[in-house]
Amino acid sequence: MFASSTDALKRYGSDAAKKPSFDHTLMPPCQEACFLHMEIREYVDLIAQGRVMEALQVIRESNPFPSICAYVCTHPCEDACRRGQVDKPIAIRALKRFAVEFGGDRMIRPEVETTHEERVAIVGSGPAGLAAAYYLRKLGYPVSVFEAHSELGGMLRVGIPKYRLPREVIDTEVQRLIQMGVEIRTNSPVISLDLLFNMGYKAIFVTVGAHQGLRLGIEGEESPGIVDGAAFLREVNLGLKPSVGRTVAIVGGGNVAIDAARTTLRLGAGEVKILYRRSREEMPADPAEVEQAVEEGVEILFLVAPSKIERKNGQLELTCIRMQLGEPDASGRRRPVPIQGSEFNIRIDTLITAIGQAPQVPEDFRLRIGKGSTIRVDPVTLTTNREGVFAGGDAVTGPATVVQALATGRQAAFRIDDYLHHRYPLISKKERETLTGDLLPKTIEMIRKLTRCEPPVLPPQARVKEFVPVELVYDWESAVNEARRCLRCGMGAEILFQDKCATCLTCLRVCPYHVPYLDASGTIQVPAEQCQACGICVAECPAKAVVLRKPQDRRQIDEELDHILKSAAESKLKPLIIGFCCQYGLYGTGALASLWRETKAGIWIMPVLCIAKIETEHILHVFKMGAEGVFIAGCGQKQCARENTAFWVLQRIEKARKILAQIGLESQRVQAFNLYTTDENLAMVLDKFTEQIGGLYLASAIKEEVKI
Amino acid sequence: MIVAEQKPLEEIRRMIVPYEKILIVGCGTCMTVCGAGSEREASLLHSTLHLAQTRSGSNTHSFSEYTVKRQCDLEFLDVLVDKVKEVDAILSLGCGVGVQTLAERFPDTPVLPGVNTFFMGAAKEWGVWDERCAACGDCRLADTAGICPITRCTKGILNGPCAGTKNGKCEANKDMDCSWILIYEQLERLGQLEKMRRYYPPRNFRTIPRPRRLVTKAEISPGGSNG
Repeated sequence: MFASSTDALKRYGSDAAKKPSFDHTLMPPCQEACFLHMEIREYVDLIAQGRVMEALQVIRESNPFPSICAYVCTHPCEDACRRGQVDKPIAIRALKRFAVEFGGDRMIRPEVETTHEERVAIVGSGPAGLAAAYYLRKLGYPVSVFEAHSELGGMLRVGIPKYRLPREVIDTEVQRLIQMGVEIRTNSPVISLDLLFNMGYKAIFVTVGAHQGLRLGIEGEESPGIVDGAAFLREVNLGLKPSVGRTVAIVGGGNVAIDAARTTLRLGAGEVKILYRRSREEMPADPAEVEQAVEEGVEILFLVAPSKIERKNGQLELTCIRMQLGEPDASGRRRPVPIQGSEFNIRIDTLITAIGQAPQVPEDFRLRIGKGSTIRVDPVTLTTNREGVFAGGDAVTGPATVVQALATGRQAAFRIDDYLHHRYPLISKKERETLTGDLLPKTIEMIRKLTRCEPPVLPPQARVKEFVPVELVYDWESAVNEARRCLRCGMGAEILFQDKCATCLTCLRVCPYHVPYLDASGTIQVPAEQCQACGICVAECPAKAVVLRKPQDRRQIDEELDHILKSAAESKLKPLIIGFCCQYGLYGTGALASLWRETKAGIWIMPVLCIAKIETEHILHVFKMGAEGVFIAGCGQKQCARENTAFWVLQRIEKARKILAQIGLESQRVQAFNLYTTDENLAMVLDKFTEQIGGLYLASAIKEEVKI
Repeated sequence: MIVAEQKPLEEIRRMIVPYEKILIVGCGTCMTVCGAGSEREASLLHSTLHLAQTRSGSNTHSFSEYTVKRQCDLEFLDVLVDKVKEVDAILSLGCGVGVQTLAERFPDTPVLPGVNTFFMGAAKEWGVWDERCAACGDCRLADTAGICPITRCTKGILNGPCAGTKNGKCEANKDMDCSWILIYEQLERLGQLEKMRRYYPPRNFRTIPRPRRLVTKAEISPGGSNG
């Protein structure tokens, strides 16, 4: 193949020209769902190989503050994850957290240089503002961030409780921005944008957030003992310890309501109830957070809304009414309808309202305000009614997620760059086709069900006492195993050289997932949305017409193998032994790492992304290049996340042995090892093999001598 | 489809001894489907021959490879013209038809067969092939429920089963189905058991004069009118 693969490319030159890059993967649903369009599949795959630092690099390419997302992202990617159709989605956010903690994120210092003169002011230091600052700085602009509070972070700092996002994480990111040269102006509320223009700023990004709590609009709302959820969290997050009494009720069903409830528990409240007017299904809060709140002792009353508040004997008497769900409303959720005569009373010390927030944009900004007091912008350019003024974040969308804010911040940076250079905004076109379509039941049936590994959390009793982070980070092995569950959507096989395909049906017959099929015209189709990218058909196709969309197949192996064989030849150590080792999981669990360390001189390890991709010809090639022995070490059928891999490896080994026997090379020279074997120490097995090869080598060398 | 198997390496190595430069030619049709002479096998053989030569310490031969879409039609072989000029022999991984077509197309270059052509057959499953047709030129499958006794009965008898059938298997090989039992069962299913009761006279195999030629075009006499 080493002569022919280039030959084949020449022969199919026209095809190759149409697809200039070997990598033509489809965009997986997780990436499509992510507001930042992060290369999730790629970094999850790197974690599955134990290559955590590289995974972090991939993460940082599209996310300015991965450490923040690692704690609080609402992970729409997980909702889109197709593993969810098989069992449960990949724990992507927890894996990101692992990559951030173990990949050395704190050490990363982006290098920046000021290459533009135009200064940009950012009003508000929430995630959108900080992301814009990060990217504008990277683009080479002098950037100032104006923050009304004493510390940066916006909702990250004043909205999200410390037990969900430790403050060191925000501090580290802020510190990084300062090192990048971003000018920080805290305690500087901006009253007028004209002042900023007068100060010489050429563009302004308004990202003031949505901090104003919405009112219930019921009788008695002005009574003391009633606080707004966002304001309450702000007070606590800025270090105050407001007294909430023993019994607390929270009205609302979003993340603010849950955060407020869990915070009051930590402030010493004994009885905490959440009143939500719809049912659990409609609850916008993150289900995992809801679950943790319930574990901690928060009681949630569904289909209940307050209708009247009265102050009696220093307490609040709350009249509630039960609801039932009617027709869907504009948001698509079923509208709650009061049930007449179902009123009941509860007595509480404090009532926290968390039914939503709206932005509060100073009038002097002279910005056009739209629905829900939000700033009106062009969704593509983020421009407002004022020249040079851009806006984004919650101030534009109303309360949304951190990742959405980061995405707008990044968008704003590039649009401001366009504006300052009089470029017509280039609407970012999708470079890659997106993978669409669900897994078929027959494919799902064949996919091994693997339990989702959740990151550990502190026990509820321990966590309600203080504001320490609730969720802990994965250990190495759990992270690697969790990452190995990824189905690698959009990376699978495709018939690249249709004209070579003889429709021999090999792919159809060897696929463990029954993915390839014959269409009505008698052509083989390999539907991308079903393929599991195991690579078996690629290695078995007699016409070499099939490749993986992401070159983890023969093309990549050829390249790396040649590299290794070159180094091996230079070292001149004899006998030369090449070991093909599965790279998935093993660095993490140590087996491959110890193989690397303990290999005696003369043994070269060639890591492969699943040994099912090793072909008979690779084995022969290695012998051709002077090796005396070859071993293939994989994880065995039980541990491999794909099906039938061991069977195919053994098929290819048998074929190689048959050929080698005809040349007079003993079958012991090719061996398969199970890296997860527990009964025998792997190093010992390897030693035995080395010894054997050494013996065979010596014997053949003596024969040579005698001949001469 | 034609099914073949690659020749033993030793035989191939013996054949190529007189030649220095050898072009291995794969075939992209039947030999790809049965896997004996596909592009993968061509490059595998290339590697193997190279390895065998290195291990024996000689450096006599040099190899190149190319896989054409189909070796049994002259038109597909034109792409080889320049490559063949460079070599001393062609090692064909096509079936017997392919080898001969190559030999006809390149009369000045020796063409060596790299595979043994076995039969016309079908895949039972991945990696298992069964013979199905003997190309007798006088098909009787309508009378035998789509199961060919010429090919699938060891004796090739037209009126079976013989006395050597036992529990549905053949006396020659107890793992092999008796095709006449299969025929019986299938005729029974089709409600055509009366076909078993008929006597089929022996066929005259001398009526197959080799080599056969099939002409499908009509003779058109020059100058003839069409009305």
